[in-house]
Amino acid sequence: MSFEWPWQYNFPPFFTLQPNAETRQKQLAAWCSLVLSYCRHRKLYTVDVLEVQESPMFNNKKIERKLSVEAIQVVFEELRKKGNLEWMDKNKARSLIMWRRPEEWGKLIYQWVSKNGMVNSVFTLYELSNGDDTETEEFHGLEECMLLRALQALQTEGKAEVITMDDGKGVKFF
Amino acid sequence: MGNVFVGKGRPSRVTEQDRVILQLKQQRDKLKQYKRKLTVQLEKERFLARQLLKDGKKERALLLLKKKRYQAQLLDKTETQISNLERMVQDLEFAQIEVKVLEGLKVGNDCLKKMHEALSIEEVERIMEETQDAIEYQKQVDEMLAGCLSQEDEEAVLAELEAITQDEDVQLPEVPTEPLPAVPELEHGSKPAKVKQEGMILLAE
Repeated sequence: MSFEWPWQYNFPPFFTLQPNAETRQKQLAAWCSLVLSYCRHRKLYTVDVLEVQESPMFNNKKIERKLSVEAIQVVFEELRKKGNLEWMDKNKARSLIMWRRPEEWGKLIYQWVSKNGMVNSVFTLYELSNGDDTETEEFHGLEECMLLRALQALQTEGKAEVITMDDGKGVKFF
Repeated sequence: MGNVFVGKGRPSRVTEQDRVILQLKQQRDKLKQYKRKLTVQLEKERFLARQLLKDGKKERALLLLKKKRYQAQLLDKTETQISNLERMVQDLEFAQIEVKVLEGLKVGNDCLKKMHEALSIEEVERIMEETQDAIEYQKQVDEMLAGCLSQEDEEAVLAELEAITQDEDVQLPEVPTEPLPAVPELEHGSKPAKVKQEGMILLAE
């Protein structure tokens, strides 16, 4: 399944931040939805700002346009305001892109757990994201930090408890 | 980081056994990762050996195959260990369930005991006795009330009973074959005639 780019993607001015406030707002909104749908398509969870500049997401080789790092920062900042992104370090070099909110991931995981009668069982995080049993599930391959966020969301609902041990974390569902 | 929300008021629901299970599962995960690594290596070496054979380096290919064989054995061992660990986890989980079942039975037993305490034999005897007394009392009252009917009432009751029994006894006379007799006869037995008529209507229906 190939990714369907929005029409703006082949429109050169889209790759330059627009000075007009209203136009810029629309442009940023389009970029935000592009980033979210692209990351969802490729199942990307963490994105490095410098690296991502070379990815097709911000670099359209066909029209030879790419978004500058500063502009990417602006787009990411916009995503952060909308609650879809979190910076993973102070320098704002790595970001966690949440095209699905942690609560939603938690819900998916919990559904799987209860469907399989595994409430009240203990799991390792590796088992959840890389185990053979979850291969067909959407959360298979979920990055650990995202997984952890999802489990913490479940924890606040009282449906799970994250267990920290010397070598790695686990979780128990209730 | 993971326990940010725990410890604030409500106690952790993770038991010591849960931690042990987690530890076992972590061990299993490591073995699984190791297994994955071995599988990848085996695949690579098989390819390499073939390459070497093609190049005519039989000695080296043989050496490589030996190494590969050893790794395959390791893989087998890893598999057994994984299944050992998994069995252990299952045993632990089942033991936890058994403990829960026992706890449940204990609670039920205690509850039953308490309820039996409330139901002492003396209490039951007393209540049954009291009930018996009450029944006796009721009987007395009934008798007294039954005696209240006057002679006249009794007669009326008997008469009514008679009437009811008679009603039931009434039998339909044979349907006469000869032509009806004169009128005076009719006046005399008006009641049975009526009954007969009703019977005929019923038959007609």
